[in-house]
Amino acid sequence: MNSLFEFFSFADPNIRFVVIGSVLLTASSAIVGTFTFLHKKSLVGDAIAHAVLPGICLGFILSGTKNPAYLITGAFITGWISLIGVEYITKHTRIKDDTAIGLVLSVFFGIGILMLTVIQKGGNASQSGLDHFLFGKAAALVGDDLIVFGAVAVTLLIAVFLLFKEFSLLAFDKEYAKAIGLPVRWIDLVLTSLTVLAVVIGIQAVGVVLMAAILITPAAAARFWTNKINVMVLLASVFGAFSGLSGAYISYIAPAMPTGPWIVIVISTIAFISFFFAPKRGVINRVLRQRNIRRTINDENVLKTLYQLGEENKDYFIQRNKEEIIRRRRFSPEALGKILQRLENQGYLDKTSKHWVLTEEGKARGQRVVRIHRLWELYLTTHLNIAPDHVHDDADTIEHLLTPELEVELERLLNYPKVDPHKSEIPYS
Amino acid sequence: MDNENIVYPALEVHDLTVAFDRKPVLWNIDLTLPEGKLVGIVGPNGAGKSTLIKAVMGLLPLSSGYVKLFDQPINDVRKRISYVPQRESVDWDFPASVLDVVLMGRYSKLGLFKRPRKADYDVALDCLKKVGMEAYINRQISQLSGGQQQRTFLARALAQQADIYFMDEPFAGVDAATEKAIINLLRTMTEAKKTVIVVHHDLQSVTQYFDWLLMLNTRLIACGPTSTVFTQQNLQETYGGKLTLLSDVGDLIRRENFPNREGVTRKVL
Repeated sequence: MNSLFEFFSFADPNIRFVVIGSVLLTASSAIVGTFTFLHKKSLVGDAIAHAVLPGICLGFILSGTKNPAYLITGAFITGWISLIGVEYITKHTRIKDDTAIGLVLSVFFGIGILMLTVIQKGGNASQSGLDHFLFGKAAALVGDDLIVFGAVAVTLLIAVFLLFKEFSLLAFDKEYAKAIGLPVRWIDLVLTSLTVLAVVIGIQAVGVVLMAAILITPAAAARFWTNKINVMVLLASVFGAFSGLSGAYISYIAPAMPTGPWIVIVISTIAFISFFFAPKRGVINRVLRQRNIRRTINDENVLKTLYQLGEENKDYFIQRNKEEIIRRRRFSPEALGKILQRLENQGYLDKTSKHWVLTEEGKARGQRVVRIHRLWELYLTTHLNIAPDHVHDDADTIEHLLTPELEVELERLLNYPKVDPHKSEIPYS
Repeated sequence: MDNENIVYPALEVHDLTVAFDRKPVLWNIDLTLPEGKLVGIVGPNGAGKSTLIKAVMGLLPLSSGYVKLFDQPINDVRKRISYVPQRESVDWDFPASVLDVVLMGRYSKLGLFKRPRKADYDVALDCLKKVGMEAYINRQISQLSGGQQQRTFLARALAQQADIYFMDEPFAGVDAATEKAIINLLRTMTEAKKTVIVVHHDLQSVTQYFDWLLMLNTRLIACGPTSTVFTQQNLQETYGGKLTLLSDVGDLIRRENFPNREGVTRKVL
């Protein structure tokens, strides 16, 4: 607890630098990354991240110092060249863009590593620390870095704020944007520059290798929670900032822990949680919905079977046992037991020792399923000219799906018919 | 063709050739369309209908020829152009609502950096009403049916308040009643001197819907008032099979890396 208090009091200037630096980096990369993600250019972010390494080395070789201004300029230039390379390859050869990205990424990264090795072997004393760009150095951020980061972060924010609607439109429908005369090339150029800029700054915290994670992961996580683009941008930046903050905190309480990788672990955890637990789009919710649908189908099939048994002698309230149901329609006895239990709990069946009987509500629901089944069969034969012996399986699915409104529509369309194509009576309540 | 008597053409296309990967898909198109007409473009699959309207709007590079709208180069009249792309051309799983998409129609009027104003919302809502989508204003676009997506695109185009509209199969996936409503809407637009150009599939409704007709099959078969060009002979020529020789020559141009025009230096790789 003490460490928590110490950390968040920000009394230690080092903590202040690391925290502010990390949060600025992660939040602004996440905002730009949201548009990179929506433009379906996630892989491009990774290519840029790897391609800035030779630029950094070149900046160092030419200037002889680790002055961030030179390194950033170098990084920005090679980052851009890599993108032009990808675009050129896809436009002028038969190579598709995923292959082009892979090619460019590995070639640039290879050259970068080569240059880095040469520099390290070169005996220039000021080179030490250049390899931080590989894995980041968030824990070693100093005041000067913050000024650069802050300036870049503010630039990114202003640009995204001003061009928000243009970026959104281009991500959704570029052809249309061109047709109505937006300067598409220019806007694309700005977005790409922002991406390169975000990457160039971000690699100082998390390094070349992990950069794509803080660019794209917050956006991917945010997409699970919302269908509004502005909320998505906001969420992504909050996720990014939170991971930056927690990364800094974790490396503070456990000094052996590196900040950058922890930032990535935190943001990835957020993404995993979103993937599984987000309402509507999350996996668990989908599984649950699927299970509910299966249950509904099973329940309604049992009610339908009981109703059909009742049709045989026009008495729907006869006591039935499991065997009678199974003889009419195949269920596994265990599954049937569970379904019957559930239906009893829901008030559709009454149970007496080993027998079940439909309640009024149970009969109505079973009857509705039978009615829709037969109406649909009739609809398929009369309106789609499908042979009567082909319509049963189709109707077996539709009977559980149709909404009351569509049911009314169907009845009206068929003019309340008396019998289905197999001469079975269509029951109305 | 009686193009001679068009005094003020909304669209003029001269010797337009478009090639994909060097293979020409449209050969030497020449045509003129008058203002204030509802124009249909018909032709078989692969005839180049979408390619023609995209090329006219400058979305595709031209191998030869030029296009003029209202007697001016396209880039000078961009704000007067509206476009309804094919529904499948975008990813509908995009975080936007119906209203968001329709508001995009206002962006060219708004200009860069500016946010939609109250008046833009009014226009967007009005256009949604015109296409019968007012009940779905806040609906997430991924949850729309095909016909509703189509109507959303239509509302977006209307919101531009343009002078010429290019619509790429606006009736795909739309039910008959909605199709009728949309045609009536387009008709009121042409009465207000707007020009509407529609890529269309259903030959049954051609005479009923369109004032002018453009019949296309990699080359222009006919262009003129529907009553005069919608003839058995033109139909036969449009739909009566491909010109195999033409298509073979196109393939040859691609295989041999030949330029489409003499003297055009091609970019080499």
